[in-house]
Amino acid sequence: MSDTLDIIKKLAEKDVNEYITQAADEGRKILGYMCSFVPEEIIHAAGMVPYRLRAVGSKETRLGDTYYSAINCSLVRHIFDKALNSEFAFLNGVVFMNGCDHARRMYDNWRNAFQTQGLGPEFLHMFVAPHTTSETSFQRFLDELRDFSDVLEKHFNAALTTEALQNSIAIYNQRRELLRGLNEMRKLPEPPIFGAEMLAVQSAMTSIPVENAVDLLEQLTIELQNRRIDGEGKLRIVLAGGAMEEIEHIQMIESCGAIAVADNLCTGGRRADVSVEEYGDPIAAVAKRYLYEVSCPRMIDEFDKRSASLEKIMKDYRTDALITEKLMFCDLWGGENFLLKQESKRLGFPMLSLEREMYGGGEGQMRTRVQAFFEMVRNRQS
Amino acid sequence: MIVAGCDVGSLTAEAVILKDSQVLTSKIMGVRATAEKSAVCVMDLALAQAGLKYSDIDACYSTGYGRQAIPFSQKNISEISCHGMGAYWADNSIRTIVDIGGQDCKVISIDENGLVQEFIMNDKCAAGTGRCLEVLAKALDVELHELGPLSQKARKPINLTNKCSIFMELEVMQHVYKKRKARDIAAGINNAVAKRVASLSKSVPLKPNFAITGGVSKNVGVVSRMEKLLDVKFTPLTVDPQIIGALGAAIFAQKENGNHD
Repeated sequence: MSDTLDIIKKLAEKDVNEYITQAADEGRKILGYMCSFVPEEIIHAAGMVPYRLRAVGSKETRLGDTYYSAINCSLVRHIFDKALNSEFAFLNGVVFMNGCDHARRMYDNWRNAFQTQGLGPEFLHMFVAPHTTSETSFQRFLDELRDFSDVLEKHFNAALTTEALQNSIAIYNQRRELLRGLNEMRKLPEPPIFGAEMLAVQSAMTSIPVENAVDLLEQLTIELQNRRIDGEGKLRIVLAGGAMEEIEHIQMIESCGAIAVADNLCTGGRRADVSVEEYGDPIAAVAKRYLYEVSCPRMIDEFDKRSASLEKIMKDYRTDALITEKLMFCDLWGGENFLLKQESKRLGFPMLSLEREMYGGGEGQMRTRVQAFFEMVRNRQS
Repeated sequence: MIVAGCDVGSLTAEAVILKDSQVLTSKIMGVRATAEKSAVCVMDLALAQAGLKYSDIDACYSTGYGRQAIPFSQKNISEISCHGMGAYWADNSIRTIVDIGGQDCKVISIDENGLVQEFIMNDKCAAGTGRCLEVLAKALDVELHELGPLSQKARKPINLTNKCSIFMELEVMQHVYKKRKARDIAAGINNAVAKRVASLSKSVPLKPNFAITGGVSKNVGVVSRMEKLLDVKFTPLTVDPQIIGALGAAIFAQKENGNHD
């Protein structure tokens, strides 16, 4: 048993939590954001709490569908539905990102809703990250980070000093290091934590102030030292994909006879894998980490690097198979899946591609596919 | 040794009882309100026919969408593995199985032991399934089992252009209103369903010999069109192709509980 794990799981199940409420009560501003390319360190250095927007708790997309169509990604439809239902009323601002066109469009929609319906908050900022990693892109990204810092300073009357940024980098690196420590334990033959639980941990950590996250992760690391999951007869799998927050979906996969011991999910392991350098110009270090090290299919001409990274994960964690997770109408993961399928044939690792609507149900077909896939993997091994 | 397999799908439930590696009896029926009720009903019928009691069964495995809810089953196995094993047991030269069930269709590649090596399953829509045929047969006002023989008499099959079952239904109704011959519409329906499944088949290596299973395998129109589209010949199976899933479950029960024949 781990008390801290139970606390964290509960945090993952809801969008507003006592840590965020307490931070707001103490006068800290809460800034929502949507994508792994938005640098939390800069928001934190401006004295605010970065908070990743999730669909958790959303029951429908009725209001969201008034701005989006049914062929838009269900994550953005759920999140915008929540926004229109004032479920993000506790936010002091939202930072949007050109991660994909569906997410980028939310900036337009939210702005329109702000102008026509008074949907808060007032601070809505479009943060733009390049899609390539050339030197020109790096300079462009540096400019964007500086602009972002200036905007935050001016709007929130904050002083974003070099020292503050260095401190923020240090504490976010600490969080990454703790998450990496947990991931290291997942390499054991009997890992201490299920993949579904780890997703809850990773999701919850983006919904609370980093200081609380570090405390909880330190405690969790201690409590997991003696926890072991019996891996006998279970396959070890790796999950890759974009936004994933449905813990019960991973539970369903694991209940078919596997443990998800590693992941490269946007809302999972991808966030922790590489730290920001703690020397030199801090804003350049942030730019370097976010532009070059976030393994996301939105980046053009980077597939070989992403594939190599995934291959290394599969080797390090001794996984038997890969499951990719794609939300319907996600163009980025549609392309990535196709390329990964070629890699799976070339390298000979079994791969299953699942496609779903966020919180969309349809477990029956999905379970059949997953169970048959695991049976197939075992057949190939025998 | 007496073993059983129970397959509860979306439209029908099947039970197969094997005694000493021979099919003792099998039963097929339409599903009831719950998977559990369907399983109990179909197994009761099979046991009664065989003159057996539940306690006579040494092992029973389940498959199909309702596989987790079957109270008398010791283990559940996916219908993909069960169709592979069932078809292999019926004819051990089979390496590729096309299974068209009530609400899904699969193409399954098996090895020389009947074990699944690759598979593909529909996940975008149900236009290549039994349910789609059921809806279109109703629009044409013929019984489901009539679609196959009727289509064989066609001279000018219609072309259903829509990919969605609902729009296909509207298209069929338009052809009915225009007084096109029922046999030509029936052929168009079968061709459309065969085309959907054939396009799915391209994702899996098609190794001979081939078998077609599931309820739709009884529709001669779909089967003959599939053979043309895939340029293959389906090997006729010695057992009812609709019980292959339940048969596969029974074979797994036999293999894993002592008898490895």
